[in-house]
Amino acid sequence: MISRCRWLSHLCLLFTVMAIMACHEESRSNALKIGLAEEPRTLNIWLASDANSRKVLSLIYQPLYIYDPDTLDLVPWLAESMPMFDEQNLTYTVRLRKAKWSDGTPFTSLDVAFTGRLIQSFKVPRYSSKWKFIKQIETPDLHTVVFHLKKPMASFLTGTLFTPMVQEKEWASVAEKAKTTEKPVAALLNHRVHHPVGTGPFTLEQWQRGAFLHLKKSSYFFGTGKTINGRILGPYVDDLVYTVFGTSDVAVLALKKGSIDMFWWPIQPGYLADLSRQADIRLFTNEKSALYFIGFNLRHAPFDDPALRRAVAYLIDKDFIVSRILQGQGTKMFSVVPAENRFWYASDLPRYGDGLSRENRLKTAYRLLSEAGYTWTVPPVDADGDIQPAKAIRLPTGQTMNRFTILTPPADYDPHRAISGLMIQEWLRDLGLPAYARPMAFSSLLQQVKGNHDFDAFILGYGRLRLDPGYVRNLFHSSNDKSRGWNMSGYHNPAFDRVADRSVTEMDPGKRQVLVKEMQKMIARDLPYIPLYKPSVVEAVRKDRFDGWVEMLEGIGNIWSMCQVKPVKHDGA
Amino acid sequence: MGHPSSLSPTPKNTHSISAGKQRHHWVERFLDGWAVYRKNTIGRIGMALLGIFALMALASFVPQMVDPMYHPMTGVDPEISHSTGPSMRHWLGTDFIGRDIFSQLLAGARIAFMVGISSALISILFGTTIGMVAGYAGKGTDIWVIVLMIALFRWPGVARVIRSQTLSLKHRPFIEAARVAGASHGRIIFRHILPNVMPLALLYMTFRVTSAIIIEAALAFLGFGDPGSVSWGMMLQWVWKTGHMFQAPYWLLPPGICISLITMAFYMAGRAMDDVLDPRLRKEEIKP
Repeated sequence: MISRCRWLSHLCLLFTVMAIMACHEESRSNALKIGLAEEPRTLNIWLASDANSRKVLSLIYQPLYIYDPDTLDLVPWLAESMPMFDEQNLTYTVRLRKAKWSDGTPFTSLDVAFTGRLIQSFKVPRYSSKWKFIKQIETPDLHTVVFHLKKPMASFLTGTLFTPMVQEKEWASVAEKAKTTEKPVAALLNHRVHHPVGTGPFTLEQWQRGAFLHLKKSSYFFGTGKTINGRILGPYVDDLVYTVFGTSDVAVLALKKGSIDMFWWPIQPGYLADLSRQADIRLFTNEKSALYFIGFNLRHAPFDDPALRRAVAYLIDKDFIVSRILQGQGTKMFSVVPAENRFWYASDLPRYGDGLSRENRLKTAYRLLSEAGYTWTVPPVDADGDIQPAKAIRLPTGQTMNRFTILTPPADYDPHRAISGLMIQEWLRDLGLPAYARPMAFSSLLQQVKGNHDFDAFILGYGRLRLDPGYVRNLFHSSNDKSRGWNMSGYHNPAFDRVADRSVTEMDPGKRQVLVKEMQKMIARDLPYIPLYKPSVVEAVRKDRFDGWVEMLEGIGNIWSMCQVKPVKHDGA
Repeated sequence: MGHPSSLSPTPKNTHSISAGKQRHHWVERFLDGWAVYRKNTIGRIGMALLGIFALMALASFVPQMVDPMYHPMTGVDPEISHSTGPSMRHWLGTDFIGRDIFSQLLAGARIAFMVGISSALISILFGTTIGMVAGYAGKGTDIWVIVLMIALFRWPGVARVIRSQTLSLKHRPFIEAARVAGASHGRIIFRHILPNVMPLALLYMTFRVTSAIIIEAALAFLGFGDPGSVSWGMMLQWVWKTGHMFQAPYWLLPPGICISLITMAFYMAGRAMDDVLDPRLRKEEIKP
């Protein structure tokens, strides 16, 4: 009897030890827990325009090429090698890797052709412009695709080839069904995807809306164990678990506590001092391909006068904006192309007011406007050259300048732009300009500026500028001055249009670079937009949990990181 | 139920012929009321707090006259470009771009008073007048007026309560007496009914002030405030949006405490005013 009790007690002990070991194993699970600021809106790749959906889908659907994190050069991804250009026939030939979809079926050239035709036939927003100049897509074999272009188009390499590929098997029936509806595009975009099939390193395991989203390592990922671009790819984590936090405060607390390993969202400067003191947290600061600017309505007075726009450029203190409003987490901009985009950036542009004191800015702006014929009841600079409160500025025509508004997004959407608008208002008032900053709901602001063209000035930004400078043409070409068109300022310059048109079809990168720089010079001279700043991206991770993050433009949240990040080995673990 | 005439100045008013005597009567009423108010501890605390906030509102014009860097919206300390704690130079510290938090707090008091008092006055003026007229005029008028109030303004609550009170008052004998004596409708409403609905109106005014201040702060916190003015809600929004919520208590707490205190102060003052204007609520004084 006693021996049976002893035997039972030993058995209990064994179970307890096993349970403890199981718990220990569980706690060492290499699931990477990621905090998101908001819930992803959709798993439909064609609808996903929000950042949070892209953070999930970019790990599932893959393009043919991606950027090198260091040089930003093209790296073959689903493609096997660099595309071959036949100048005579205007074709690009792309060889594909032997990859598989996450359901185990092979990825072939038929899928690439299907993706392109789907975009073309449905005119899928956000992708259609990158495919409309392709005349024909040929598939000579299952691993070769030939793109026939209607005309030379420089953005093929930086736009078209970066389109995420979808599986014909998954989407063919959806497309067929959508075509039978009254609104095929809407039907395609509104199609609910429950289990996206991709070629990426992860697949969707479960999405509990409002709670978490779970991605699992794909056993069919083409990169696993391979060396691509000098990097041995994993993924080395089995699971990615996304948790949604409504506010940054909660997410930062979760990060400090260890509930998440990474917060995939830029950290506000206010948290940095505290986070940098935490021993287990590492901060990454990276540049962003972005443009934040003040734009003017050139269609009517007062901003139809370039002299006034130049005076405003002198008055805006970008050092103040970057050092105080952005708390040093950003850089000044002088061109509509970010300086980090080194190949296309024109460095020899005028830097209005850079380095000048506030007094000298005001005096220079006053001189510019005086020379242009502006007058004041009380000028901002008196006869002795001293600054005084200005009153009632008059246009060169003699008319008193009417009050004008600077529209900005509201402070809850973007406090930096809202406060920048307020400070610019004050600087302009020093010169006697009747400026009024007015934050406005973002959708209304866009409608007023882009739809109705009913504004004087506005502060907006592009948070994710493409590296290809094709957008410079889009933003300022006179053909885009239409309702909902890209040319919001209404800038019309035939000389610019000519250079811009040439830049689109110029296939030689060197020659195109000259044209793009020429365009930047024209914009910097005429100032339909005054570039203001570009915020940096500061991200935080637990360094006691994972290591191997890859930094690049836009931060550490990229496909390279997710293929290379590894659990940290602890001593004795 | 106490006779309403005990609340009404009617008997005295019939003898007040000259303007001098009328002024004397109001001064006397004010002094009597003040004597009652002073005995109310809650009222004294409320009044003291309101006095402090009124002083803050008045003082809000001073810092920027001392130095432009103390301008609550656009002034920045040339040597400080981030949030710092309290110091001799900045008594409550600076916000994220180096603006003085104390100056912002003073400017916030001005906005709170402006928003609270103006919205309450408008609310009470319209609500009481329309409520009384609606209640007095009776069917046919009142329903449409109330509908209009509901449709157009945010003061239906006051109007509804005042109308109910007026409906009850207009059938009392002293109103009948005034009518028989030949008093006009206007005179009956403003001379005989108004003093009897005033306690209710003032009580509602305190609620309106507090709700107006809280609504303004909430809207500003959510980003719907006037971006060109510094209010306490706006200060809270800045501290939240810039990530200083848990990092800068010297910035987070003052506006929060001020919102709580000023709303409490108005409520306390309102309770005490209720005591003054409605003798039924007063405690019996025990005399030896």
